[in-house]
Amino acid sequence: MPRYFPTPKILTLVTALGFGATAIAVPLAAQERTTVGGYGEIHYVDPSTGHPTVDVRRFVLYLAHSFNDNIAVRSELEIEDAKVEPSGAAGEVEVEQVFLDYRLRDWLTLRTGLVLVPVGIINETHEPPTFNGVARPAFDQDVIPTTWREIGVGAVGTVPAVAGLSYRVFLVNGLRAEGFSGATGIREGSGEGQNASFANPSLTGRLEWARPGLRIGGSFWYGGTANGDSVLGTGSFAAPLTLVAADARYDVGAASFRGEVANISASDAGAIGQRYGTVIASRLAGGYLEAGYNLLAVLAHSSSQKVIAFVRHERYDLQAGVPAGVIKDRSLARRVTTFGLTYKPLWNVVFKGDYQLVRNRAGVGEQQIVSLGVGYQF
Amino acid sequence: MTRALLVVVSLAVGVAPAGPAQAAPPAKLAASLSRLFGPGTRVDSLRVDSNVVLRISRGDSLLGFAQVGNVIGKDQPITFLVAVDPADRLKDIDVLVYREPYGGEVAYEPWRKQFRGKTAADSLRVGKGIRSISGATISVQAVTAGVRRILGDLTAWHQAGAIR
Repeated sequence: MPRYFPTPKILTLVTALGFGATAIAVPLAAQERTTVGGYGEIHYVDPSTGHPTVDVRRFVLYLAHSFNDNIAVRSELEIEDAKVEPSGAAGEVEVEQVFLDYRLRDWLTLRTGLVLVPVGIINETHEPPTFNGVARPAFDQDVIPTTWREIGVGAVGTVPAVAGLSYRVFLVNGLRAEGFSGATGIREGSGEGQNASFANPSLTGRLEWARPGLRIGGSFWYGGTANGDSVLGTGSFAAPLTLVAADARYDVGAASFRGEVANISASDAGAIGQRYGTVIASRLAGGYLEAGYNLLAVLAHSSSQKVIAFVRHERYDLQAGVPAGVIKDRSLARRVTTFGLTYKPLWNVVFKGDYQLVRNRAGVGEQQIVSLGVGYQF
Repeated sequence: MTRALLVVVSLAVGVAPAGPAQAAPPAKLAASLSRLFGPGTRVDSLRVDSNVVLRISRGDSLLGFAQVGNVIGKDQPITFLVAVDPADRLKDIDVLVYREPYGGEVAYEPWRKQFRGKTAADSLRVGKGIRSISGATISVQAVTAGVRRILGDLTAWHQAGAIR
């Protein structure tokens, strides 16, 4: 075994070159540090069913402070659609995440605060240069209510015995069934950190495995949604909702692939629908597959820039299952096909353009959308 | 082994734009050097300007050089070690301290081994010689840039005779 002298004052002798003896004193005290970062995206969207619009879709400031080597606070402050006016329907200012991390070991960091629900790819990783297409996948809007965040406590870390395996698990405030609807799924049931009900503490977690070029993950959510309602039930797990999801990202050479699938089931959908006078799906399901190819690998082999041509096909149904006696709304069985180009002069700057074909099984309200966008992260 | 003298310095070497230097725990540095160069080596530290280079030898034979660097990941410094052999080929890298909650896959063998045998003349860029890890892009970019810089420095210093 090697021997060493871990005393603070170590004399190292340099004889060969006459540098002389050098004493190196090391400041082991942790340093406080504040980090600023951010990401943003500006969109031009031209739908076949309306006028084109331009929008500062997201402007996000990332602010982190490390109190020492083990304790840090991390936060994101987001402005959507450039501004918020008292009368306006558009625009949001939101704390997208703010949590304290207490790192105890590589395999254990305690996390407390407003955290991102660790489900799918986009909910946690949505900086514009990390995904193809101007808009986030529709699946990550309609099925997984991105950006889904709740207040809670949990742990993140690596699994010691298996290289590349990591986990996150949280106990967070639950969804409220009152916010569910046919067209928006579970999205409006999220508390998003604002006076959120803790009547239905819920469990969510993720296990993922990564190696160069590959990352695969599986996620779950389980929790009640009744919010203490006297009809639906006052138990912690009354009117339960279960989500399971899986995703993969794979890069090989100039090609890149990714996909997500999710299944959400609400066993008391019938009771929820009756209680709030609406139709609530008992099951939401779907996913997408995407393939891309870096054209510069062929056209300009020495370039480290990327021009990725991609196609993404999404297929999901917000009423994959409905309570007995309810007729399905087939316009909620959606298909979105996106063809586009992603130009990345640097890994963290992106210019995007795409063409989307938005269809549904009812054959109503179909449209084509042409979008352009710029994005960055730092 | 009893003859060998191993001096391990817990040192802090900044790699721009790392900001304040971070220390590598002596035990981790010793373990890393032992893994890379075998047990019972002699480790001297050389100064080149404000940088500290570790010179690893056994008896009269030079085994290589190593340097500790820091790069900033998303918000935390990543402390890593770059080791080269006497022919300025990269032996291996080690992530000595990883402080971020995500992206720690850069510490694992499947990613690190891509650097082995590289020289300063090789392309050490993500997507060009070094594969990325999706979901750990920031750490991958930061460590790759840090390794590229240290490998370039060590090679230049060695060829100029500043370290030998």
